[in-house]
Amino acid sequence: MEFLKSPPPPIRRLELEDPAAARRVAPPAHPANGNGSSAPGGFTGARRSIGAPQFSIRRMEIDDVSVSYSNRDAVKDVSLPVRQGEVLSLIGPSGCGKTTLLRSLNRLTELTSTAKLSGRILLDDVDITLIEPTLLRRRVTMVFQQPNPFPMSVFDNIAYVLREQGSRRQRKKTLEPAVHSALDRAGLFEEVKDNLDHPALKLSGGQQQRLCIARALAAEPEVLLLDEPCSALDPQSTQVIEDLIVKLRDDVAVVIVTHNLQQAYRIADHVAFMYLGDLVEYNSATALFGSPREKRTQEYVSGAFG
Amino acid sequence: MDEEYTSEYGPRWSDQRVERMLGVLVCTVVGLLLAMIVVVLIKAWPSFAHNGLAWFGPGGNVDDQLNAIFLSGQAGAEYVYTFHAWPLIWSTLLITGGAVFIALFSALFVAVFIVEFAPEWMSNVLQPVVRFLASVPSVIYGLLGVLVLVPFIGNHLVTEPQKASVAGVISLTGYSLLAATTVLTVMIAPLMVSIFSDGLRAVKPGWLEGSLALGVNRWRTTWKIAVRTARPAIVAGTVLAVARAIGEAVMLAMISGSVGFAPNPADGFIFIYEPSRPLAPTIVKNIDQLSSPPANATLFAIAAVLLVSAAFLSLTGWVARRSMRKYGAA
Repeated sequence: MEFLKSPPPPIRRLELEDPAAARRVAPPAHPANGNGSSAPGGFTGARRSIGAPQFSIRRMEIDDVSVSYSNRDAVKDVSLPVRQGEVLSLIGPSGCGKTTLLRSLNRLTELTSTAKLSGRILLDDVDITLIEPTLLRRRVTMVFQQPNPFPMSVFDNIAYVLREQGSRRQRKKTLEPAVHSALDRAGLFEEVKDNLDHPALKLSGGQQQRLCIARALAAEPEVLLLDEPCSALDPQSTQVIEDLIVKLRDDVAVVIVTHNLQQAYRIADHVAFMYLGDLVEYNSATALFGSPREKRTQEYVSGAFG
Repeated sequence: MDEEYTSEYGPRWSDQRVERMLGVLVCTVVGLLLAMIVVVLIKAWPSFAHNGLAWFGPGGNVDDQLNAIFLSGQAGAEYVYTFHAWPLIWSTLLITGGAVFIALFSALFVAVFIVEFAPEWMSNVLQPVVRFLASVPSVIYGLLGVLVLVPFIGNHLVTEPQKASVAGVISLTGYSLLAATTVLTVMIAPLMVSIFSDGLRAVKPGWLEGSLALGVNRWRTTWKIAVRTARPAIVAGTVLAVARAIGEAVMLAMISGSVGFAPNPADGFIFIYEPSRPLAPTIVKNIDQLSSPPANATLFAIAAVLLVSAAFLSLTGWVARRSMRKYGAA
């Protein structure tokens, strides 16, 4: 194996043309934020981008819910409220069951044949197992980690939901206002209004994810579930989507799963910390990040593990 | 330093070598294909030149014409080329069209069932079975047709009054359009199922999940997202199946009846019991006449028609798939 001894090809490193460019995207350092401040408990660096909720109405109730896959427990005895007017964030290390919990809110766990759910989940005081799944999933829509726009035009992506909801085939003209409004609410209309006929898969990652949010909003849901919506996106797109989520919280109850603690701190009103299927701590964002009650929360939030 | 490293960037020719070798191979294949088309067209030319467009039209008994063409070549006298292939073309259209039409829909539903709805153990069993069926030699289907289906049709489906009603024109023995179409359907459907299900399997699970999460039920999701996205594969499978059906010779020679007769739908429902003979089996049947120059040209003319329609079919499929890929489907 003579060639193994010969020198490896040189690695070329690209020089940054403008070293300042690297600094330009970094967030501005701690501007004072009205109601106040980075959290005290060792959690610094992020800033709250939302004020106190204007109102909060309890929409969903997770009551003693456990989910298991064949013989492995993914979620154990979790009880949580989901409120409209607020953003609820589920945080925790990988495999702690937060995505499973989110998927059980619109019965997507039922698609996995090995999943078993016990406990009750209520939507406006009605057990969701009593609601027909397709109807439930229109009221509780979901946006996934990987942007998954359908291989159709931008317009058809949104119109798909509306067409499937209507009993008759609707004309493009009659669907237009609803499509435009959904795109507008997702903050995408200005960017795509001139090329609604273009393939959705040609949009950038951030635009695709906002298209998915627009699609979820077109169903006129009452609860919006977001499964790490920004994990595949760049900082700018993340910023846009975070602003959007905060704007949406008055119209729909928002539940967001995130790996990103800073993000949870920026946009959530309430945070639930899960660890190995257990709900360790549920509190307002300022309290959970500022003065966690549990030791495990303290460690996770300060970056000791996870 | 090692000889291989002519520069610090590594061996210079590694990629280009492969590129050129493959390029030469591809050019050879394309060259052979072109040569084949040219040879067939040149050999076929006398037949087309003497008949003009009437070659494709009706007129006279096609079997008698073929016989006259053959005999004129042997006598050394003036060659006869008169040939009106309509009964053969019509038979090809009916048998291929019928088989593809039936197979397309049944294969689509079977593929959707295997991929989307069947429990895992069942699709694990069905998948290899379908692939095996797709690779069964067509002679075996032909044999089964002759031994089982043809006698069944002749003895149990065709009634005596029906036989009597066309007695002066053609005899109904069971070798029929129905038998040919049925066996051809059975032959090409597994091929379609196999390609369709590969296409359906390639649909991103995220699209299906996204649709389900919006409250669209499973059937609509399958239909509007999975089947829609798999359209290029469906077209590809259909093109392959049509090509195989058009080119199928031995099996159809065995059970189509091998008579140069154009089944007439105006006869009523009975026409599906009438025998015929498509283009490809005609070549097989008259293969011993190649020594006669006019017969040779006529058979090559039939081959040219088959070749051109296959090429046209591929082209149509390619154009259709291109337009379907516009939105980034698989």
